[in-house]
Amino acid sequence: MRLDYDVVIVGTGAGGGTVADRLIPLARSGAKIALLEAGPYFPHEYFTQREIEMMGLFWFGGAWPTEDGSITLAAGKAVGGSTLMYTGVTFRLPDDVFEEWGVSGITPDDLRPRFEALEKEVNMIEPGDDMINDNNRLFKEGCEKLGWPVEKIMLNLKDCKQMGFCNIGCSTGGKQGTIEVQIPNSVKAGIELVPNCNVERVADRIVYAEVKAAPPGTKAGPWQEGKVEIKARRVVIAAGSPGSPAILLRSGLGDKFQTLGRYFSLHPALTVYGIYPERIKNYRGFPKTYYTPKFSKSHNHYIETAFYYPFISTKHLGLWGQDLKDVMKKYNQFMTMIILNHDLALPSNRIVLDRHGEPKIRYKISRESVDSLCHAQAQATRIFFAAGCEKVIMPCADRMIFKADEVPDEKIEEFISPRNFIPNKIPLSSAHPQGGCRMGKGPDDSVTDSWGQVHGYPWLYVADASLFPKSSHVNPYLTIMALADRVGQRLRETHGQWSRE
Amino acid sequence: MAEFYRCKYLTGRRLVAFLAIADCIIPPDEDSPGGGTMATAGVVDWALERIAASLRSQLLLFILVVEFMGILFGGKPFSKNSESARKRQLSWMESGPIGLFRMGFFGLKSYTCMGYYTREDIWKTIDYEGPMLTDLEFVDPAIRAICQGRMEVVG
Repeated sequence: MRLDYDVVIVGTGAGGGTVADRLIPLARSGAKIALLEAGPYFPHEYFTQREIEMMGLFWFGGAWPTEDGSITLAAGKAVGGSTLMYTGVTFRLPDDVFEEWGVSGITPDDLRPRFEALEKEVNMIEPGDDMINDNNRLFKEGCEKLGWPVEKIMLNLKDCKQMGFCNIGCSTGGKQGTIEVQIPNSVKAGIELVPNCNVERVADRIVYAEVKAAPPGTKAGPWQEGKVEIKARRVVIAAGSPGSPAILLRSGLGDKFQTLGRYFSLHPALTVYGIYPERIKNYRGFPKTYYTPKFSKSHNHYIETAFYYPFISTKHLGLWGQDLKDVMKKYNQFMTMIILNHDLALPSNRIVLDRHGEPKIRYKISRESVDSLCHAQAQATRIFFAAGCEKVIMPCADRMIFKADEVPDEKIEEFISPRNFIPNKIPLSSAHPQGGCRMGKGPDDSVTDSWGQVHGYPWLYVADASLFPKSSHVNPYLTIMALADRVGQRLRETHGQWSRE
Repeated sequence: MAEFYRCKYLTGRRLVAFLAIADCIIPPDEDSPGGGTMATAGVVDWALERIAASLRSQLLLFILVVEFMGILFGGKPFSKNSESARKRQLSWMESGPIGLFRMGFFGLKSYTCMGYYTREDIWKTIDYEGPMLTDLEFVDPAIRAICQGRMEVVG
């Protein structure tokens, strides 16, 4: 099948969904725009709130392994991308990260109005007291007892029913991901949404893709199954990282840009648990409402509240045998936190292609990140005990399960040590893959300019987290949207010129 | 709906090995069964169908590697070794010097836990109340039936 479009957008997550929304004026004035998504279009009633049934929402069933298997990524393979299964945590890019990025044009002054507009668009709210469940309340109390700053996490919610299943699809549509906001607006304006459409590569103003059948229970798209060749005046790649660098690598751009696929980072994370003496039923209410920024600048990590369902909890615990069984019997007493290391963007950490052209994540965690994660476990231990937990489970401790009176406070850092960090044993995970198509000055140091345009390719743009030249430190979706907003702006502003090509 | 679920991947020697491994990863106790049951195997088998073929092959191969490496740790295949030999072997695979074994063990442990802790009879043992919306049907009723103990699993 051969088709003609003015703009083709590849990917429907925070990046692609936002670009589509920003091109609504063009669609209304007659431009033909297609929004392609590799994953299916799941309706609300698909989200059954059961872990095993929802593994199809993710690439690799929710555990996309790095090449050496030491970290697994959770990334959405669905209309909405990873906004389908994030928790709606809304952070602006911190000012010091702008400086660290050092990309001309990407400044707090440029992004501030975009953040403000986006926060309204996604209905960002500060969670009220009625949304604070026991886990979050205890986290706040623990931090306060220690005299540490604790802040509310801003969330993008509307009429949230607080059922706690955000990470396996929101059944009610309360979470304001792109599937609820930007995509419906775009479709209403005439932009064509094409699920189950996997893009293989791009060439000069042509997208090569394949449409597959819609899986049972999902919404079918408008195109027939089979190979498709789409001519487009402008192509926006927003397939996320590793997806976008992989498409550009398959398109032969690896020879032109030394940095393509490189400087990949992923906020390596550990989810850690404390056992509270009473039932706290962490799995009801809203999962994430507090975090502490205390160690962001000094030790490169944030500690946030978290919640996970039973199976995923077992994966995070890193236990087996009777220890696992005994700890899981206290599932209803779990206090849970996630620690997120800022991560370094290193050229050696990169996306490469396997012999079938599929992306492989070649990532080795740095010594700095391991140190940071161990420091974070020590601080999480202090919060758990200050909140009243009886025991904690720390993957890098000399003895993984321990009580408050077994390790004196001044010995915690010694007890939780990088010497216990064994790759493939420590249950590292990530939900924030970034980089691989970094922005910068020119083709020697980057893949795109600060507007997401691939250097030397006026028809080709990137609009997702793969643009990040270094880690965002914070949960990235709002920053992705702000960068995608810039891509949309550039396409609108130059429309008069490229619409005649 | 069929009355039973027939495993496609966990069959024969591999099933025997998986059940033994799963019982070591999640041992039975007075409150709840161990991981080595056909219900766990059924959930894992169903999930294996839905992952990338390359990952599935690696996991299936690793089950046999564990089975035959049992000889080094207890003189017999894993499924015939004593409980202490099985624990010793899995501990070595989890923390030993060879990254491939650590990776394989992590994957196998994860799938075993998936097979076990997504079962509704097990939810009761950990006091997990499960979904709030209980009337939503899933497109593939088999997995719900296995998890709810309404469908027999055969190897």
